[in-house]
Amino acid sequence: MQNVPTGFGNPWLQLGLSVACVFVSELLLKRGAMDVAEPESGFSWTGLNGLGSPLVWWAILLIIASFISWLYVLRYIPLNLAYPLSRVVDILVPLGCWIFLAERISALRWCGIALVVIGLALVAKPIAKMEERL
Amino acid sequence: MSFLAFFLIVISLLTFVAAQLILKRAMEFSAANGMRKSYFMSRVVIGVVLMTVSFFLTLGLLQRFDLSYLYPFQGLSVIFITILAAVVLKEKLSARLTIGALLITAGIVLVSMS
Repeated sequence: MQNVPTGFGNPWLQLGLSVACVFVSELLLKRGAMDVAEPESGFSWTGLNGLGSPLVWWAILLIIASFISWLYVLRYIPLNLAYPLSRVVDILVPLGCWIFLAERISALRWCGIALVVIGLALVAKPIAKMEERL
Repeated sequence: MSFLAFFLIVISLLTFVAAQLILKRAMEFSAANGMRKSYFMSRVVIGVVLMTVSFFLTLGLLQRFDLSYLYPFQGLSVIFITILAAVVLKEKLSARLTIGALLITAGIVLVSMS
């Protein structure tokens, strides 16, 4: 990692921004989906009615932004380091559901989330290596 | 959760993983052969279509379930990649990978019961 840019081009800052964009986009997608939710309609399984919510469009923009900054990050930070770090979003999203979306998360669900997070932390490095070869 | 919902969750994750791998192949191909070849373009189109399918299926599911309920299922994508690597790369699974995959599976089972 030589000649690492500083300021806004700092790859560590971009990694943080990428994670933040994914985190916020997940919450916006949920809010947007709820704004237009039609659970009784079979068509809504396609999710296409979600395009009626401005929040969903903001989420799409953030997903694109996170993708661009992620590609930039990978020019400077190896995948088997960047990928495990990016998985911090797996902790942020359930916390965001609890704090910002006021979802009621039972003890059973918290336990399940914790197991998934621990499992993901364990496999992040080997998975990143596998993905590079697949 | 209904069978339909579980089926759609699995499809949305499978299409996402497939899209990632196809787009990665396309990028590697373009680095060696340039971007104008029809092979590259067709792969990018397939990858983007699969990503879009995954996105809208998720949007449909989010209208019915909590995000804290759906999100942990993303751990399944790691299981798919592990299985794929075992089949395609004939990769032997390390103890770390096996334990991690089991923890993720157990976690998803708990979440799906919640």
